Amino acid sequence: MKKYSVRRLTTILVQVIGLFMFSYIGDWISLLLKLPIPGSIVGLLLLFICLYFKIVPEKYIKDGAGFILVILPLFFIPATVGIIQFPNLLSGQGAILIGIVMVSTFMTLIVSGYSSQIVEKKMMERVKQTNE
Amino acid sequence: MSDVLLLLIVVIGTVILFLTMRYLYARFSIAILHPVLTSTVIIVLTLLLFNVSYERFMIGGKWIELFLGPSVVALAYPLYNQRTFVMKYRNAIVLGISSGLLTAMGSILLFAKIFQLEEDIFHSIIPKSITTPVAIQLSSSLEGIPSLTAVFVMIAGFSGVILGPLVMKYARIHSPLSKGLALGSASHALGVAKSTEYGELSLSMASISMTLSAIAGSAVGPLFILLS
Repeated sequence: MKKYSVRRLTTILVQVIGLFMFSYIGDWISLLLKLPIPGSIVGLLLLFICLYFKIVPEKYIKDGAGFILVILPLFFIPATVGIIQFPNLLSGQGAILIGIVMVSTFMTLIVSGYSSQIVEKKMMERVKQTNE
Repeated sequence: MSDVLLLLIVVIGTVILFLTMRYLYARFSIAILHPVLTSTVIIVLTLLLFNVSYERFMIGGKWIELFLGPSVVALAYPLYNQRTFVMKYRNAIVLGISSGLLTAMGSILLFAKIFQLEEDIFHSIIPKSITTPVAIQLSSSLEGIPSLTAVFVMIAGFSGVILGPLVMKYARIHSPLSKGLALGSASHALGVAKSTEYGELSLSMASISMTLSAIAGSAVGPLFILLS
């Protein structure tokens, strides 16, 4: 565990406020251009572009992003607690939905894994050929 | 109880509960002890016990949820750090993620037709392979039910982590790179945590795959709604 000095906590706080600003700017752009994409994703792309072109130096975001990502699961607990509104999810239809999600997840694993494995094999063969 | 007091109890209580559960999970490291799962169960039981409605809980809950936006933005940082990696394996990444995303959402579209799912349920399941903070926000922009989406996301995560290794073994997916890509695109953050067992390369791939699937999924999700 890293030590949290007052200085470090201030840095984190300021950087988290910066992340909030990116999120709000993203919301605003998404609303303005009537994009179907959530504003926070627009904010993510914006921050990536800013980092890539060195508009925002890495150190201005590092501690805040690191901190917020470590405790990220905390922020979606309110949404998962919302399950309390849907007690019928434990019924027959709920079981079907759970089954659908599981089967779809396995299909995704297989297709994604298999297709990338084929590409990886081709890549390895090419590397071998150039080395020989 | 006054709203201010309730707000403080919910916020402070949830934070302390989460940190405690995370500590527990770190000590025993069993999938079923995942802090989100245990915290949710404890909060739901507490609300039922004291007869507090979800609306009342959300007086405090919405202040915690407020951090979802900046959390999604923060995902740009690890992605930026891995940019050279992304370029090196770009072909495998692009194919693995796009085929995974099309399978994840396409199969839901298909199942929705077969089982004649109601529209709001269908819209809530579509983002299920995507990391929770993004899935919740995507669900609300698709006019789904974010709370249902959060639960489906967890089911996708747990089934991928618990049964996924067996499924991949049967499908003869052996390389650490592909296992990571698959876990990240099907089971998001839970998959990323699992991928650490297959080594550093697998972990990087899973994390890249989770983030890129979330970005691409936000753009592709609305298209699948149009197709239905």
